[in-house]
Amino acid sequence: MAERDRPAHLLLDAEGRATRDAPWIFRTYAGHSSPRASNALYRANLDKGQTGLSIAFDLPTQCGYSSDEAIARPEVGKVGVPVNSLDDFHLLFEGIPLERMNTSMTINGTAMWLLALYVALARERGVPETELKGTTQNDIVKEYLARGTYIFPPEHSLRLVAETYEYCVDRIPEWNPSNICSYHLQEAGATPVQEVAFALANAIGILDLLRSRGRIDADRFAKCVGRISFFVNSGIRFVEELCKMRAFGDLWDEITRDRYGISNAKYRLFRYGVQVNSLGLTESQPENNAWRILLEALGVTLSRKARCRALQLPTWNEAMSLPRPWDQQWSLRLQQILAYETDLLEYPDLFDGSPVVGAKAAEIADGARAEIERIVGMGGVRAAIDAGYMKSALVRSMADRMARINAGQQVVVGVNRWTDGLPSPLVGGDDGGVFKVDPAAVDDALRSLDETRRRRDAGRVAEALARLEEAARSGENLMEPSVECALARVTTGEWAHALRRVFGEYRAVTGVDGATLDLDAERTHRLRGRIDAFAAARGRRPRLVVGKPGLDGHSNGAEVIAVAARHAGFDVVYSGIRLTPDEIAQSAVEEDADLVGVSILSGSHLELAAQVIAALRQAKAGDVPVIVGGIIPRGDHQRLVELGVARVFTPSDYQLVDVMDRIMDVIEERAAA
Amino acid sequence: MTIDRDAVAAARGRDKRAVARLVTAFEDPRPEAAAARRDVVAALDADGAPLGRVVGFTGTPGAGKSSLVGELALRLAAPPSSSAVAVVAVDPSSPVSGGALLGDRTRVRFPPGEPRLYFRSQPSGGAVGGVARATFQVCRLLARLFDVVIIETVGIGQSEIDIVRIADTTFLVVQPHAGDHVQFMKAGIMEVPDAFVVNKIDLDGADATFHALRASLRLGAPGRGERPVYRTSARTGDGVDALAAAVGAGPPPGLATREPAFFTGWVEAEYGRWGRDRLARLGADPASYLAAHGGLDGAQLAFAAAMDLG
Repeated sequence: MAERDRPAHLLLDAEGRATRDAPWIFRTYAGHSSPRASNALYRANLDKGQTGLSIAFDLPTQCGYSSDEAIARPEVGKVGVPVNSLDDFHLLFEGIPLERMNTSMTINGTAMWLLALYVALARERGVPETELKGTTQNDIVKEYLARGTYIFPPEHSLRLVAETYEYCVDRIPEWNPSNICSYHLQEAGATPVQEVAFALANAIGILDLLRSRGRIDADRFAKCVGRISFFVNSGIRFVEELCKMRAFGDLWDEITRDRYGISNAKYRLFRYGVQVNSLGLTESQPENNAWRILLEALGVTLSRKARCRALQLPTWNEAMSLPRPWDQQWSLRLQQILAYETDLLEYPDLFDGSPVVGAKAAEIADGARAEIERIVGMGGVRAAIDAGYMKSALVRSMADRMARINAGQQVVVGVNRWTDGLPSPLVGGDDGGVFKVDPAAVDDALRSLDETRRRRDAGRVAEALARLEEAARSGENLMEPSVECALARVTTGEWAHALRRVFGEYRAVTGVDGATLDLDAERTHRLRGRIDAFAAARGRRPRLVVGKPGLDGHSNGAEVIAVAARHAGFDVVYSGIRLTPDEIAQSAVEEDADLVGVSILSGSHLELAAQVIAALRQAKAGDVPVIVGGIIPRGDHQRLVELGVARVFTPSDYQLVDVMDRIMDVIEERAAA
Repeated sequence: MTIDRDAVAAARGRDKRAVARLVTAFEDPRPEAAAARRDVVAALDADGAPLGRVVGFTGTPGAGKSSLVGELALRLAAPPSSSAVAVVAVDPSSPVSGGALLGDRTRVRFPPGEPRLYFRSQPSGGAVGGVARATFQVCRLLARLFDVVIIETVGIGQSEIDIVRIADTTFLVVQPHAGDHVQFMKAGIMEVPDAFVVNKIDLDGADATFHALRASLRLGAPGRGERPVYRTSARTGDGVDALAAAVGAGPPPGLATREPAFFTGWVEAEYGRWGRDRLARLGADPASYLAAHGGLDGAQLAFAAAMDLG
């Protein structure tokens, strides 16, 4: 059939026969409690038709601590699986053939370590390294910007990223050493233009670094360009999201061609995986989230040219808690229906030639191009982090978003419109529709760690760690020494502590400076009057200490509260993230706080709230009221109150003026007592 | 507000809660708060302990003041030194809401429970000189409880520099690429500090900034004599020991000698020209007015009472 006679709606294979595309990889972001429990979950998910693994690690593993360290204990097994040593990887992948699996690991600060464990596992199983396929997220820049699980200062973290590329290009050619992640930027409030610009500027930063290090030749460099993959968010404005994905692809093609001179079109492809948006999922009328997830999946699958390579969907109840196996199955079924029941995969691109889609994509690309030039002009993404530029931009965008929702300009069904709904039968079961980590499973992880420590060869461990430290100082590639650590049964904490000794630890900029909010003017005015009256009567403004205990680094909630509180007229001491309960108590005491606000999203709210309150009592400040905000299941509210928490706030408390009013209630109650 | 003697004794023992509550009392802007301050000062001065020295750190936003001050405090207090160090970090208040977002704590981590280290955030409360009205008062308290009091000002522009009216020694902190020597010379701020710090020397451009600064100091402020320029990196710790030594070798503490000037400023801020005229009509210079009323707090009480009578 001649070119012009070919019906435009047919998708043809190499021989000219009508065909359909293979679906993207179906994944579910999963992991909890212990390697054994997570292994059972993975095998069950694969049996249900999932085609790749996406491993969620717990916060101690992400931040480089072993499960038995004090700062780690409340968080073990909460948001993912704890991995302490190679023995845990053997349990985690039991019965799962590495050579046939495509494994994505959401891991950043310790990405090199987890990759080394995977390589060591393959070596002990006799699987050739070259056959391994998968992705380590290994995107440290967005950790500094939005997610918070960094460990070392940027230059050292970036060295680890570069060294994984330099190792993989020869040794594991089908591995994506990093997955540049704009997902968390959207969660932190990024607009589509910011999301595209910051992610691509980040990728430019990695490629520039690889080129300037000069450890790989031009041929290998081109391969590294081809291995850069992206991890993108897809929000509810799904037409715009579709255009955003096309803009991403166009700009990346342009950058790899013009900036890096890559001639092979294959290496210029914008390859990306997706986790659709969690930010827009609501706690009220949670069943509505099922529709949101469906629509968000369309944004990244409808356009063939900009279709994702792998998709993971959140679950309808994610704003309330971690998902149960059934919730994950329901989301997986959505993917299977979309890929196999519908005709989506039978057509060429549906939007080529559409003036609307073309113009919208061009608008996003133009905005992003200008923003990238600004960042590169500042000295690149690293300098922009140091200057707090991107962080401040994100905090401002987030504040704008909250203000639009507060003002009703941005409709969120069930939240600021049509809020009266029938009770959802989905949350009516014995478990209230939420997942609970089994504490016994965590003990299993600790036992496994004990056993590893007991059985390993201490001499080999010491030697491997000494070798790692020496390589860290000398500038030698750290992958092979890390693999040797893995084989020697070094623990996650030991690996990270050895590098901390050489590299030091990083402390972040907050990005809250200068951010403003636009809240309901009338109510804000009234609240300010109330605060001014309190200040006049007491000789000072009401004073809050806001911070995040534990290892969870999602700082957006705490930052928005801090900015809103200043806007209302409070004096707010923002004490940052990754604080121990003792540090929060010390801030409260030294600052003579009227109230302490802590934000906890990791699921460890009961443990951490109890520890903060105990630390305050210990510091003779048990009379200072504590409020807790975060993703906290209804069923835990009463228990928090019993622990001594004065108020509990969840994502359904999106009206910031309400939150501020209620904070002032607590302070006035205490002043009156 | 009344202060009981137990609270003062506990603060003397550097109990953090007691110190914090007294700081709040010393920040209280209401004229009647002077009575409580007077009692606390009298109780603390009864044992004749010497005043600590007050050191100011100022500079543009982003110069790394908070991290540097935190590192410096740790060095000053580190064994074998037994010095106790308090830090007061001032951040701007919103002119719209009056509230403030105080973020300097995120860059400073003192070991929990160490009584020889104390950190306090302070809102500027609308003052434009880089410190708050209350900063001087809080220094009066903390200098009686700690050997060194470090004030970190609001990030400043080219002129605001009220810190020199409080501190015994004022350091101006700059970062690499802070400017060429022409910019240094024209900035009015350069004439005021006692010493300079080029921070972030682990970054490129630090040497050039150091030399530009030195050159402009020779040309820019002829009357001031040679002023030292220190080089530090809060990140690596380089140069911080030398800075700590300079802080320890500074001039003798002289906070008390600055009380009359503070009093005059307070009268103007609180009562405007009417107050200044009244002070003039009382016929005493500020120093003798303070002496006649038992010190700063007594003078404030007496003057407020006089103004109330009309």
